[in-house]
Amino acid sequence: MKKTLTRRSFLKSAAIAAGASVVASTGLAAARDQVTETAAAAAGAKARLDPYSAENKIKIAYIAHDISTPNNQGWLEGIQRECSAWENIEILQYDAQEDAVKQASYVTDAVNQGCAAIILQCSDGTALAPAVDEAEAAGVPVVTVNLDAYTVHSGLVMAVDYDAGRMAADEMAKQMGGKGNVVIIEGVAGLSRTDNLEQGFKDTIAKYPDIKVLDAQPANFQKETATTVMNSFMQNYPEIHGVFVINDAMAEGAALAVDSAGKTGTMFIWGADGEKDALTMIENGQMAGTIYTNSWDEGSTAAKLALFLIDSEYSYTCLTKTPQMIMECVVVTKETVGSIPEADRW
Amino acid sequence: MKKLNLSRLTKPLILVLCFAALTILRPKAFPTVSNLSNVLWSISVYGIMTSGTIFVFLVGGIDLSIGSLCGLTGVACVMTIQALGRTNFAVVMGILAAIAVGALAGLFHGLTVTRFRVPAFLITFATSTAYLGLSMLLTNNKIISCTEPALFTGISNYKLVGFPVPVYLMIVVALMSWFILSKTSLGRSFYAVGGNAPASRLSGINDTGVTMLAYVFSGITTAIGGIVLASMTQQCKAMNGSGYENYVIMSAVIGGVSLLGGVGTVPGCIFGAVLIGLLNNGLNLMSVPATEHDLVKGLVIIAAMAFDAAQHQDSARKSLTKLPWLKKKGM
Repeated sequence: MKKTLTRRSFLKSAAIAAGASVVASTGLAAARDQVTETAAAAAGAKARLDPYSAENKIKIAYIAHDISTPNNQGWLEGIQRECSAWENIEILQYDAQEDAVKQASYVTDAVNQGCAAIILQCSDGTALAPAVDEAEAAGVPVVTVNLDAYTVHSGLVMAVDYDAGRMAADEMAKQMGGKGNVVIIEGVAGLSRTDNLEQGFKDTIAKYPDIKVLDAQPANFQKETATTVMNSFMQNYPEIHGVFVINDAMAEGAALAVDSAGKTGTMFIWGADGEKDALTMIENGQMAGTIYTNSWDEGSTAAKLALFLIDSEYSYTCLTKTPQMIMECVVVTKETVGSIPEADRW
Repeated sequence: MKKLNLSRLTKPLILVLCFAALTILRPKAFPTVSNLSNVLWSISVYGIMTSGTIFVFLVGGIDLSIGSLCGLTGVACVMTIQALGRTNFAVVMGILAAIAVGALAGLFHGLTVTRFRVPAFLITFATSTAYLGLSMLLTNNKIISCTEPALFTGISNYKLVGFPVPVYLMIVVALMSWFILSKTSLGRSFYAVGGNAPASRLSGINDTGVTMLAYVFSGITTAIGGIVLASMTQQCKAMNGSGYENYVIMSAVIGGVSLLGGVGTVPGCIFGAVLIGLLNNGLNLMSVPATEHDLVKGLVIIAAMAFDAAQHQDSARKSLTKLPWLKKKGM
């Protein structure tokens, strides 16, 4: 209750001081400090912490949409590696099990527990916006990973999505010689990353007049379901030259279907993410390519950003939109797969 | 008598109708051996699991842990294979390990339900989370891939007369359950315990033992499902199989199993599983967009159930009046 009151009164003061940004931002900082003191007093921490000093015990929350995916595990390990050098930093893991409401309550939990920063894979940008606002207002910077929260917050670290689809489409078209039939295996609609990825692929492949998208069917991110869907595609369409799959786990399932039908090498199967098993399948010629992002690096980048924010006087209130850090990606094909060292395969 | 026969035929009739409709709509793609083997392959994991879990439903219990247990048994299988060096011997040991884990889990459920009187819904819900957590801990929350030996991948890949091994496994497991339930006195005691436990006890049935056995059967078939799923995906991970409990419960209920216990048959369960498989396959073959899948599935299942229920109404009414707890409620 106290939090929201302070925030409101701050908003009022900000409105009065509109135009004079310097005044406003100091006003903000003052209001923020006030909030942080009340929120952080219980945790016995000060508003500004030096994360690199051994006296300050620091907790950083990592709140996953679903911790069981390789991507999430990669991020978590990246965050842990980044922070492992400092004994005073503790990483708290939360698993929302694909539930946005649960995730919102975890964000509030993390604030109440006195976490100095929150790294969040945002299940639902709209549903989580109030919780993210609340955390930021309490002086806890929120860094989102891959999936954005639709409110201005401290930062978003993301793998390319739309462009990954574009690159996969261009590369697949090149392999197919600019002509042929393509099918798409989708995940579950409604996740910004995979939706954008698919859109990027569809928009780009449409630019090739001799390539036809025959069909798109969902496999719910399950490997075994992707195998079944791929089998149905092969039943339905005698001529398939390219298969675009929204993530690698499903692409592997599709490749297994093509394998057991004895058609390996007759079609180009593309995934996205770059997980270890997919890279092996590309080496074996079972898959044609993937868009690789280093998940460890992505997690570690999010952690770096969080550490920077904890110590700095930087405030989200001076932002008009969320700053983004976009991870470099690699277009992996059989020719380039060797360029990803074993140590970077998550 | 004639009426009863008719109502028995409605389930096969629904399948024939679906089959005919899909054959007309997709004459080239649907009625082929490879497509049918695809449909059966896709339902084999939950077909196998339902054939064992029906025992739990019959004694009036429920097993919500089968999804997570499917993952855990897969983890046990793959990790044993990895630990013993990916030989054929390792595969056999892996399979045994998985079945042992499944049976032990079932025994635990049975014990807590019968000895400590914990509601089945609660204990299996709790163990569901625990098994998932245990799998995460064992695998360090990573995917462990296992692409060899061929004996392991062959469990799901190897084809006999056009159909892959899991389809035969499903048929064998279903036949065994069917045999136990309809041809043995032990089988009848499952119905008796689910229908009226005190009465069955008075008539000399060891209802505690029967209930425990039901959970053990469920655990073992879940383990077989877990092994098949691990082989299908050539990997194990904690989340493998999570959500399969929904397919299993759905197949069983579509197939006429009562969640109150005492009612249901194995062929019914397999009918439910096949119907789900045919629906998914049909939607894929007809290129129905993803956004419409769930609606169409729901509507077809409602239509099939309404048709089935209408045919069963007379016999159902008769059998309902026989159910002891309805009389109790009436009092």
